Amino acid sequence: MRLYPHLALVKDVPMTNPARPPLLEVKNVCASLGGADVLRNVNFSVAAGERLGIVGESGCGKTVMGLSILGLASSAFHLRGEIVFEGRNLLDLPAKAMRHVRGREISMIFQEPMVTLDPVFTIGEQICETLRTHFKLARKEAREQAIDALAQVGIPAPAERVDDYPHQLSGGMRQRAMIAIALACKPKLIIADEPTTALDVTVQAQITNLLVELSEKHGTALLFITHDLGVVAETCDRLITMYAGQVVENAGIDDFLARPLHPYSSGLLRSLPRMSKRKTALPSIPGRVPTVAEMPAGCRFEPRCSLAQAPCKAEQSLLPAGEARKVACCRYDELMLPGVLN
Amino acid sequence: MIAAPLVSVDKLKIHFPTKRRGRTVKAVDGVTFDIEPSTTLSIIGESGSGKSTLGRALVCLTRPTEGTVLHDGTDPFRLGRSALRRHRRDYQLIFQDPHAALDPRMTILESVREPLDIVGEIPKADRNAQAHGLLERVGIAPALHERYPHQLSGGQKQRVNIARALTTRPKVLVCDEVVAALDVSVQAGILNLFADIQRDFGLTYVFITHDLAVAAHISDEIAVMYLGQFVEKGLAEAVQETPLHPYTRALLSAEPEPLPSAMRENNRIVLKGEVPSPITPPAACRFHTRCPRAQARCSKDAPDFRQLRPGRWVACHFAEEMLEEAGEKAQAGPAERAGQRQACE
Repeated sequence: MRLYPHLALVKDVPMTNPARPPLLEVKNVCASLGGADVLRNVNFSVAAGERLGIVGESGCGKTVMGLSILGLASSAFHLRGEIVFEGRNLLDLPAKAMRHVRGREISMIFQEPMVTLDPVFTIGEQICETLRTHFKLARKEAREQAIDALAQVGIPAPAERVDDYPHQLSGGMRQRAMIAIALACKPKLIIADEPTTALDVTVQAQITNLLVELSEKHGTALLFITHDLGVVAETCDRLITMYAGQVVENAGIDDFLARPLHPYSSGLLRSLPRMSKRKTALPSIPGRVPTVAEMPAGCRFEPRCSLAQAPCKAEQSLLPAGEARKVACCRYDELMLPGVLN
Repeated sequence: MIAAPLVSVDKLKIHFPTKRRGRTVKAVDGVTFDIEPSTTLSIIGESGSGKSTLGRALVCLTRPTEGTVLHDGTDPFRLGRSALRRHRRDYQLIFQDPHAALDPRMTILESVREPLDIVGEIPKADRNAQAHGLLERVGIAPALHERYPHQLSGGQKQRVNIARALTTRPKVLVCDEVVAALDVSVQAGILNLFADIQRDFGLTYVFITHDLAVAAHISDEIAVMYLGQFVEKGLAEAVQETPLHPYTRALLSAEPEPLPSAMRENNRIVLKGEVPSPITPPAACRFHTRCPRAQARCSKDAPDFRQLRPGRWVACHFAEEMLEEAGEKAQAGPAERAGQRQACE
């Protein structure tokens, strides 16, 4: 028996800033694997030039979501719903048309630059490959543009580095080269999946600064997938929290940090070691993310939630909670959850 | 009363030969420090700074090229084979990748019992009982004790590694990036566990980490390492609130803070470039090539690693100046204290 039948009836209203029409709209996307939903009714949108973060523990479906947008998720996943990019549903797009979107209009930066760069081609050749796939360019022109792209991402002496192989560059420089490839065709949206996780803090600061700067300069929207809430706070305008394949909260970054509405969001924020909380016990979230085979029927976070009550046994959908905010928790109104400030 | 140091490191150098003859990687290049019993020292720095090599030397896994590591006054590298084996029980290491550190063909109970089997001093039933007890102590339910590593989550596996390191009742645990591979929610639980077992077993920790928030959370003391040398060392609060080396300031400033925009610092110090090669480190002060405060003298003479205040060590020509600036700021009031991090700009 559903205790809150009305919850299921309220349609999700995609949240967009009227001034900025959505560039990408993800509508009720489900991805199933062997009958179980890895992604379940995922809804969010990214406006042109907006920087949206996706956070959550490993196994929450962040990467699958990112890959699904570009049609790169494993074919074992059965995708339903709509991913609308500038009026076209990417899930219906034929493979050939999708190739014109991938790399040209939406591009991706991965976590491990050493794994994603091809070791037998120079950095320049890899940038030229992307450019010449999408534009009619002579080799020489493509090479010049590749050097420009390397200069843009702050690689010193780009005219020489363009002929380097990936192994000749340091980790930070490789990640810059990846960004250069992603930016080469001036896409409207960049999906960055943990782009700084493998880097030192000092280099991470350089890379996040660079991404923000380039996004502002070219008006490129950014979908930033990360588990690091500090990185999200410094790069993004808003963020969505994902848990077990569902979006549980969608909020502006400052609101989220000061007053998270979902118990999972609050748990993530409180478990961060902070310099101001030295030598005290950190509140951790007990248990772990359920695997596909063990997804709870109701609220997926309920088994780990210390605030769960009877209504939480029902499935929760993402509902508006105040202005420009959404949450998937039936108790959000009565709970005053701590954020980073308390 | 001052307790005698449990670990005493003196002018330690560890160099590795490279393929090209005559050139060496100076992984650790002249480090001197002591660790007091039952305290936690964190060693922070970028990759390639020599943190892990230093950690391995502390548990006798890497032989010093020069200098000494003393454990309770004895030099373990002068012990005979069997004496060294017995000695190693007291100095254990936990690694970053919890999965790679466990044998996939042993149940976790067997993995935890293995050190006791090797020691072989007590009957098997007692060894089993001890292993069960330790696994429960680190929060692994008895139903999981007969499982294999691949059946556990990352956090559970790291708990098993902790239990295994505890079987020989060590005095010192060197933890090399032990929470780096874990999610924050899981990381919090593991950090709490480390704090609990330190209290119960009176352990001394050396935490090697690149995560400043983790270091600040658990440590009594923090040492900052750059290209094989310590550039700053002191009490955790002191290093964090008034860093006296430009490199420490840059590291603290680069740390992304999950704070609303109004509370975040906008003038971050972003270091240019990356760590130079430890084969040919810059002459004089090794940080001068990236230092926002560098002057002509920084490339001419190397600053001494000197004690500015009791327990506060810094290797920078301008440390005294920075200490004065910090003092003025502190008097000016707490509101301005937040601006200190920018003082070196």
